[in-house]
Amino acid sequence: MRLLLPPFMMILSAGFLCAQEEQADKVQIRVTPASLDMKIGDQAQLTAQALDVGGRPTEASVFFFSRDRRSVSVDRSGKVKALKPGKFTIVARIARRSGPSAIVQVNVAFPTPASIEFRDTPSRVFAGTTARASAVILDKSGFHRKDLMATLTSSDNEVATVDTFGMVTGHRSGKCKITAAHSGLTTAFDLEVRDNPVSSIELTTGQIQARTGDVVHFRVHTKDSQGQPVAGVPVFLSLQVRPDDTLGNSATGQIKQDGRFVAEKPGVYTVIANCGQQVARCTLKVVARNVQKKAVFVGHGPIFDVHTSDLWVWEGADGRDYCVTGTWGGNGEAIFWDVTNPAKMERVATVKVDARTVNDVKVSENGRICVISREGASNRKNGMIVLDVTNPRSPKRLSTFTKNLTGGVHNVFIDKNYVYALSAGRRYDVIDIRDPEVPYRVGSYELTTARHSIHDVWVTDGIAYSSNWSNGIHLVDVGNGIKGGSPSKPVKIASYAYPSGWNHAAFPYRSKATGKFYVIAGDETFPFGLSTNNKPTYARGWFHFIDFTDLDNPQEIARYEVPEAGTHNLWVEGDVLYGAYYNAGVRVVDISGELMGDLYRQGREIAFYIPTHHKGRVPNAPMTWGPQPYKGHIFFTDWNSGLWAIKLEEGSGRRR
Amino acid sequence: MIRKILCGLSLLGLLPLQPMVAQELVDASGPSCDYYLYAAAESADEVYKIKFDGQRATVIGVVPVGYQATEIEGAHGLTVSLDGKHWFVTTAHGKPNGILYKHSTATDKVVGQTTLGLFPATMQISKATGLLYCVNFNLHGKMVASSVSIVDPAEMVEVARTQTGSMPHGSRLSADGLSHFSCSMMSGELFEIDAASFEVKRKLQLEDPTKIDRTPVRNKLPKQARHQAHESAGDHLDIKGMPKPTWVHPHPKGGIAYVCLNGIAQVAEVDLRKWRVMRRFPTAKGPYNVEVTPDGAKLLVSYKSSQSFGILDTKTGKELARIPSTRKITHGVVISPDGRYGFVTSEGIGSEQGAVDVVDMRTNKLVSAVKIGLQAGGIAFWKIVPRGR
Repeated sequence: MRLLLPPFMMILSAGFLCAQEEQADKVQIRVTPASLDMKIGDQAQLTAQALDVGGRPTEASVFFFSRDRRSVSVDRSGKVKALKPGKFTIVARIARRSGPSAIVQVNVAFPTPASIEFRDTPSRVFAGTTARASAVILDKSGFHRKDLMATLTSSDNEVATVDTFGMVTGHRSGKCKITAAHSGLTTAFDLEVRDNPVSSIELTTGQIQARTGDVVHFRVHTKDSQGQPVAGVPVFLSLQVRPDDTLGNSATGQIKQDGRFVAEKPGVYTVIANCGQQVARCTLKVVARNVQKKAVFVGHGPIFDVHTSDLWVWEGADGRDYCVTGTWGGNGEAIFWDVTNPAKMERVATVKVDARTVNDVKVSENGRICVISREGASNRKNGMIVLDVTNPRSPKRLSTFTKNLTGGVHNVFIDKNYVYALSAGRRYDVIDIRDPEVPYRVGSYELTTARHSIHDVWVTDGIAYSSNWSNGIHLVDVGNGIKGGSPSKPVKIASYAYPSGWNHAAFPYRSKATGKFYVIAGDETFPFGLSTNNKPTYARGWFHFIDFTDLDNPQEIARYEVPEAGTHNLWVEGDVLYGAYYNAGVRVVDISGELMGDLYRQGREIAFYIPTHHKGRVPNAPMTWGPQPYKGHIFFTDWNSGLWAIKLEEGSGRRR
Repeated sequence: MIRKILCGLSLLGLLPLQPMVAQELVDASGPSCDYYLYAAAESADEVYKIKFDGQRATVIGVVPVGYQATEIEGAHGLTVSLDGKHWFVTTAHGKPNGILYKHSTATDKVVGQTTLGLFPATMQISKATGLLYCVNFNLHGKMVASSVSIVDPAEMVEVARTQTGSMPHGSRLSADGLSHFSCSMMSGELFEIDAASFEVKRKLQLEDPTKIDRTPVRNKLPKQARHQAHESAGDHLDIKGMPKPTWVHPHPKGGIAYVCLNGIAQVAEVDLRKWRVMRRFPTAKGPYNVEVTPDGAKLLVSYKSSQSFGILDTKTGKELARIPSTRKITHGVVISPDGRYGFVTSEGIGSEQGAVDVVDMRTNKLVSAVKIGLQAGGIAFWKIVPRGR
């Protein structure tokens, strides 16, 4: 009883407190005004009063916050500023347990359209041709109201017509006005339609047969009635296809308006050139590319107890061939292999460091220095480890470098006594390892855009190619000389970003045959998650081919996309791309000649090999991480099963 | 029956159990409740759901977190909503900012998320404002002032970001929920933010004048370190005896806060009215996280550098017990609302699994430990359920 008494008293006490809370919970907040209708730039004052159950004001103080502060801000006194259009919520709340809230709806009106402008208007068109005119609606601040669309009309439909999307087609010579209207606003431009001087078209190409994937250039020659060349009259190119496979094929080829053509499937392709009443046709036979070879298993260095990350294969100081592989989500190990006989790869050493993931491993050009990255170090200092691998059977730790790399080094690269090491996904630092026992930072490259992030860097010919997720690829002079850069003074050369924000890796490719300079950008994305145990992973993404021949105007011109799978690391040797395609294994792709369109659909894939093992970290699930062609073999790591070696043999091999 | 009623009432927040009474009742026939908590494995990007039945802790669920699973995103801070219906976890790295995820405690599924600053870490929800306060630790960036993100957990939107000091950590609120406290590890300060106005009210330098030595450390370094130190001239790291505060926990009855001074092996007792350090309790090397028992009588402190954790008497400042941890590096601490048990995460190194060690706060003895994932760090208490319910 003695024990029970205090709790009993406390229950009563608790009941009393609860009643008080209930009373308190009936307090309401009255906000004036209860809602706001504002325009951008407007300010308004909210006042809030806490009321008790009887509706009497209390002294409880009310605070405010906005649920979209970058669109509508509110300060502690209740002053509201409208920053962006839309519907938003401000909360008024009493700072007390279970304190009541009041919601203030704020409607910020879209700015009233103030003007309409035509952009890129044609001043003249030729009869029978089409040009595009874009009409944009602007608010008083000059911002484009992309949610609104102007109505377009022609003052004389016999001279020219215009459709909803601004496509202006000339019909006969004459003049007319093309008008855009919205909300009482109008604007117009004068259009002159001229007689079309073209009386004949000739469409030519230098060949009558091509392979799938070959980019064929068609040339258009327009002439007047006197047989003289006519310039400046647009000609429209289209395509008529008779594919060999008529069983439900989708589009099997494409023609660009500059005359570039590529086919994905064998068949007969007719390019049609049209200008006014004039038409020309040119037909081409397309045959299968037939580059397929057989990917043959050579050897496997199994790693089943931990996930495997990147690899580097090199010729050691003793003339034998070695490979180092990293580990992921494990014990901080880098594993060294003798791969002189790829059919019998021998695990010769393991270096263990304080880390969970050794994501990247690289070896210097002379084969004597290895740098491994660290993530998940117990002291959270991470950084990188420099090893002497003169004898890969007995690697020696020379130094640990963590300064400014504590957030984790995900990737590294060695180029001419400098290590390029990523720091916490924010930038890469350039570290001098001329004395590998005393590395020190000499430079750094970091983007200046908000919320930038970097994933990888690769250096060749004095250019660092970094992959920066949504900021895309950056080409940086770190000694090439094109921009006067050096390792201690990296200077940006060029960049290119694509909308998905998946840019994960990059590899340069200079096509000797065409003189083109491409950078191939690999994606990484896991829209369905990544399974570290028991279940396979279904990655997505593709390789983007960016034409950097004109550094000031890079163009994304082709892709290689295996359906239902996702890319990881890549390598180019000669005119061949070696791609690690996670759940689709290793892909070997012919990238010779000019590139355009979807290389996968064009039959440019030479071979593929899908590594699986029933004892894999995730059994029977391919998750190919990184490839490296080396001395006639293709070495690659698989996240679930370790190190593999394959080679290509003539013959069609395994085909899709 | 009475035990179950009391246990349930305390869980519902209806009954502010006097710890002694609760302990006596529990002692009568042993623990009568199951304790549930969450712990994060930072290098595995997993959150573990753990049940402790008074004798044995077990993992009852593992929840993967993050979105770019090939990279360590660093599941770090954890907290549970006031109604117990949701748990929240921060990941240190995104692209580049970290993310706050909201999960249902019923299903453990993600139900919301929002991006915060660089390395969002510790957090807590205020019972007064209903808002979540999370420090942006920015552990790996330049040693510049970082911030506290203030989030509306209902809608998962960041409603304010208040600048504090360098490497803020240890986000905790006063018992009334009106004041937020955090430490700035590299500037050695304790910050107090008004939970309703989101403004910094006060800051306090926590240096111990008897420990600080402003002679540049780099002059005494070997060759390699000098190279590195040369780049970091001016860094606070270059000063010996920095307090490096890593955690703060206000006394449940108000007026006092306890701060771990990781760099000088002390727990500082700060008088919140006078806003100054009143006492300094010596600890083992590397005090990292601290929590006060609900009755304010004891502190549970993880000793990150000493493979142990300690229990301190708040009256005397004396260490009552130093308990070896089951792994080398201790990290997070939490005490059950009834004050009976303390839970300490213990990181491990490399592929060694982390662990949650359970200590009986009455006997100061380790009573159980359970393995979880790599680099066990953040920890949050969820609920106590009377046995049989």
